[in-house]
Amino acid sequence: MLDAFLNSSIAMATPILLAALGELLVEESGVINIGIEGAMLCGAFFALVGAYFTGSTIAGIAAGVAAGVAINAILAFLVVNLSVSQVVAGTALDILAAGITGVLYRRLFGITGMAFMVKPMARLDLGPLTRIPILGAAIFHHNAFVYLAFAIVPAAGFILWRTRYGLTLRAAGERPEAADALGLGVYRLRWHALLASGVLTGLAGAYLTLAYANTFVENISGGRGFVALAVVILGRWNPWGIAAASVLFGAAMALQFGLQALGTAIPYQLFLALPYALTLVVLAGFGGQAASPSALGEPYRRP
Amino acid sequence: MRFGRTLALERVDFEAAPGRISALVGENGAGKTTLMNIIAGRLRPDLGEVSLDGAALRRGSAVSALRAGIAAVNQSPMLFERFTWEENLALGGFDLAGFDLAAVAARSRALADKLGFTLPPAGATIEQRSVAERVRLEVLRALSFDPRVLILDEPTGVLAPAELAPFLELLSRLRAEGRVIVLITHKLAEAIAVADRITVLRQGRVVARTTAAETSESALARLMIGEIDIPPAPSAPAAHAGAMALSVEDLSLDRNRRRVLDSVRLDVRAGEIAGVAGVDGNGQTELVEVIAGARRAHSGRVSPASAAAIAVIPENRDLDGLILDMPIWENLLLAPALRERFAPHRWLRRRAALELCRALLARFRIRAPGPEAMAAALSGGNRQRLEVARAIAAAPRVIVAHNICRGLDLAGTADVHRALAEFAAAGGAVLLISSDLDELFALCGRIFVMSRGRVRETAPADRDPARLGMLIAGNWQ
Amino acid sequence: MLSAIGKSIAALALAGAIIAAVVAVLGASPIGVFAALWEGAFGSWYAAADTIVKATPLIFTGLAVAVAFSGALWNIGADGQLLAGAIAAGAIGPYLGGWPRPAAIILMLCAGAIGGAIWGGICGWLRARRDTNEVISTIMMNFVAAQLLSWVVHGPLIEASGAYPQSMAIAPSARMYLPLEPTRLNPAIVLAIVLALGCYLLLFHSRAGFELRAMGRNRRAAAFHRIPIARLTIAVLALSGALAGIGGAVQVSAITHRLYEKFSPGWGFEAIAVALVARLNPFGIIAAAIFFGALDNGSQAMQRIQGVSPVLVQVIQGLVIMILLAFDTPAWARIRGSLFARARDSAPPIEPGAQADA
Repeated sequence: MLDAFLNSSIAMATPILLAALGELLVEESGVINIGIEGAMLCGAFFALVGAYFTGSTIAGIAAGVAAGVAINAILAFLVVNLSVSQVVAGTALDILAAGITGVLYRRLFGITGMAFMVKPMARLDLGPLTRIPILGAAIFHHNAFVYLAFAIVPAAGFILWRTRYGLTLRAAGERPEAADALGLGVYRLRWHALLASGVLTGLAGAYLTLAYANTFVENISGGRGFVALAVVILGRWNPWGIAAASVLFGAAMALQFGLQALGTAIPYQLFLALPYALTLVVLAGFGGQAASPSALGEPYRRP
Repeated sequence: MRFGRTLALERVDFEAAPGRISALVGENGAGKTTLMNIIAGRLRPDLGEVSLDGAALRRGSAVSALRAGIAAVNQSPMLFERFTWEENLALGGFDLAGFDLAAVAARSRALADKLGFTLPPAGATIEQRSVAERVRLEVLRALSFDPRVLILDEPTGVLAPAELAPFLELLSRLRAEGRVIVLITHKLAEAIAVADRITVLRQGRVVARTTAAETSESALARLMIGEIDIPPAPSAPAAHAGAMALSVEDLSLDRNRRRVLDSVRLDVRAGEIAGVAGVDGNGQTELVEVIAGARRAHSGRVSPASAAAIAVIPENRDLDGLILDMPIWENLLLAPALRERFAPHRWLRRRAALELCRALLARFRIRAPGPEAMAAALSGGNRQRLEVARAIAAAPRVIVAHNICRGLDLAGTADVHRALAEFAAAGGAVLLISSDLDELFALCGRIFVMSRGRVRETAPADRDPARLGMLIAGNWQ
Repeated sequence: MLSAIGKSIAALALAGAIIAAVVAVLGASPIGVFAALWEGAFGSWYAAADTIVKATPLIFTGLAVAVAFSGALWNIGADGQLLAGAIAAGAIGPYLGGWPRPAAIILMLCAGAIGGAIWGGICGWLRARRDTNEVISTIMMNFVAAQLLSWVVHGPLIEASGAYPQSMAIAPSARMYLPLEPTRLNPAIVLAIVLALGCYLLLFHSRAGFELRAMGRNRRAAAFHRIPIARLTIAVLALSGALAGIGGAVQVSAITHRLYEKFSPGWGFEAIAVALVARLNPFGIIAAAIFFGALDNGSQAMQRIQGVSPVLVQVIQGLVIMILLAFDTPAWARIRGSLFARARDSAPPIEPGAQADA
């Protein structure tokens, strides 16, 4: 039972972690992407559409990634090239994404209430590793998304702090005027970050429909994009911290199933609310933004 | 090398040759920094071009400029605060394969030794560095590009007098290496001492090109200002033994694990203009913030405690002093005293405030489209006038002004000085915090010196540039 | 002022053009869609009345958003604050049977205000004292509110038979007057307009409003000049929440008479579009709310007649916000400037004392 719970925790952490890692890149470059929820939603929807109509999971993943990148590209144009308010632009994209996916969903699938299912993604068979007590089932019994997500954690850290490219990216988020004066190209760097984040968020969305729910319901992302924003803060803009925070939230989400199975009298809404309330409590306790990139969230325009 | 442009600069042609120091002089606001930014590729000129050895460079491209070998050192160093100094230099011109901070550090040390610089301890971030260290690091970073052209914008402004000579010597050495050095300064003595050619900018235009031999400080000054009547600077008023208007006692403050204010004590009496001399970055900004009530000190007291009794004119007028996106008349209401007066019972007395605004615009000769125009529509000098007007209109007991004439032309400076002198003569008190010794000598009775967060009152005998310079550098013997 | 209205109208027009294209791609007729929207929104007295009914919550939430945005406090949680107000009202509503009607209604509204104020105030406190980004905290509170609503309609407040996930009906005395039956038009619209006037006076004619707007334009300068940032932040987000909460209470009292899941179709988010189109001006919000209310109302007809999903209005909302943002950038101002060749903001005024040059 514990292993099932741990397994669920890691599984539910995965989309959050993917999105949060993407957001880490973006925030280190100085942009806060409130539209991450919309990108995840679009990634989820178009991944399902891709997989459903072509019968291929790979095509679905590709479609989901493309959708995530497209949404982020719109945001990039608005906040980088036009230097508009990042918060409002992101919110607009969330609304837009909800609208687009809603309209297209009903257009393509009708409002029949029938769930359109796709074949669930297979979990990787890691042979003897899965037979380790508790940890085996918890860690070694997942599909490819999960391993990919956790593999990106050290990769992100390496890129950001041990490469020159990462230094220039962080410079863009630390003091964009100085970065441009050195010819580093703030606009270009922020575009890179947003596009890369689009890939990761698209993957996160694809995970939701292809590996988790195997179908699409409206607003399937359920606030996970926003939770990813909180996870970046909680993790103090550090990939390992983010991974830990993601698992924490995954556990909170998994808890509801575990406790329902226990048959307690505690209302299930409490557990559904738990991740969000937890975010608030932890943000309140850990205070805020002292560790954030200095120019985060400020619109920047090249003089 | 030739540069040309229009508008904020108008048809400026500027040439500089290798193995020479070319000085660009002009008042604040004449366009020197704009020209530098264009040359360095940070700004796109509307017309004209920058060319090196006859080959035109891509306009508005910092990358092209850097690749061509043009490096610039800003007036206020543009370093990345939270990064270590090694990381800052890694973003410079050391063309190292891979990402090896140790190699960057080694190359930096070699370069620094050659120049006679000291470097911060390994792994130190910029946040805690003093201003002088930052200037050195930025010069180092610029030199790491091994530039053919080195532009320095007011580099000596933040150096203590003792650090000046070595710096100028450094420039000579760089010149001997055959580089093109462009020195931007408003300090005429410096320009004459060091430069081979001097170009004078006024109001965005080139008005003279000359050499050190052919000119003099006063001639340059006249060229810089043009032929206008500057009212004589008010003489320093005698220190009246008036009532205590502002008293700062044992103020201490730490920031970033550094002691920024160290038991600061000073006082200003009614009817006097007291000055605080010192190089920027020794705690003046924090002192002003604490007096204004915007920052809390760890210990110590400022009296009077009431916000209405003290009017503060901060150094950074666009960020702290004014709200550019609000109308001029609403900016007046930022002063706590005026807010009290025009919004006593929670309602804004709009009409009265507008009337006051109109009156102030006229009295202080502020050129504005009207009281309802956005503050952003005002030029820099007029914004400064607005702040002075607001401070005086607030009828405080004391006005605290920080680098108040920075960015003002000479006429504007004279206006501001006169307004402050009138305020003092009428019984007010003024605390003038400035890095400009001329201003302090012209206006102030008593002068304090601030260095490394400590403040000390000077004796009349210290009222001498050389002596004061030493005190500013921290030699408090 | 005129150019501000002009921008909003231009943005709506541009959004409309894009929607027309989208609709055509989806296989429906753009003209037909717009006609259906109009028909559904204003085609009859009942429809027009219902447009006002649909606009009412948008005025409350729009005001909430505008007040907060004026202080650069990004309240994305108007939805949750509305729910909090609705829950508070829905909780006391069933028990107000013995009260005289006017008093009961007022109590409902007060409950709504208090519930919303608490919801918003929490985020205000988090921002003021813990430096917690209010965007994230208000969004989180949206989800918490939704779960709280779910719990009360399934649990403590569930209606008598226990069969349906909805709360008990509020007492007849707590129900808003419906003077023009069978339309659902009710006096709440008057309250909304009065509150809009109040917000206008607050923002532009009061000291607190000035301090709020100063904080919104330049927080640093405001702090420098001793504007009480922390207190203001908490107060403004509480006020914002209260406005949204009243909107929620109004919905319970006048329209639904009880609570159920998915109570808000996204009024809190739509309010952002409303507030931006209105350029954060309270009177503009009334107009913008009616516009978006008309869209919402008409979208049912659009679904019926043209087969286009009503969720399309969300696409419109998102587009409008983005277009307005784009219109506000200096880049656009430069383009406009060169198009109309006005040198308004170009050269700074000449300084006195400088002379006409030789």
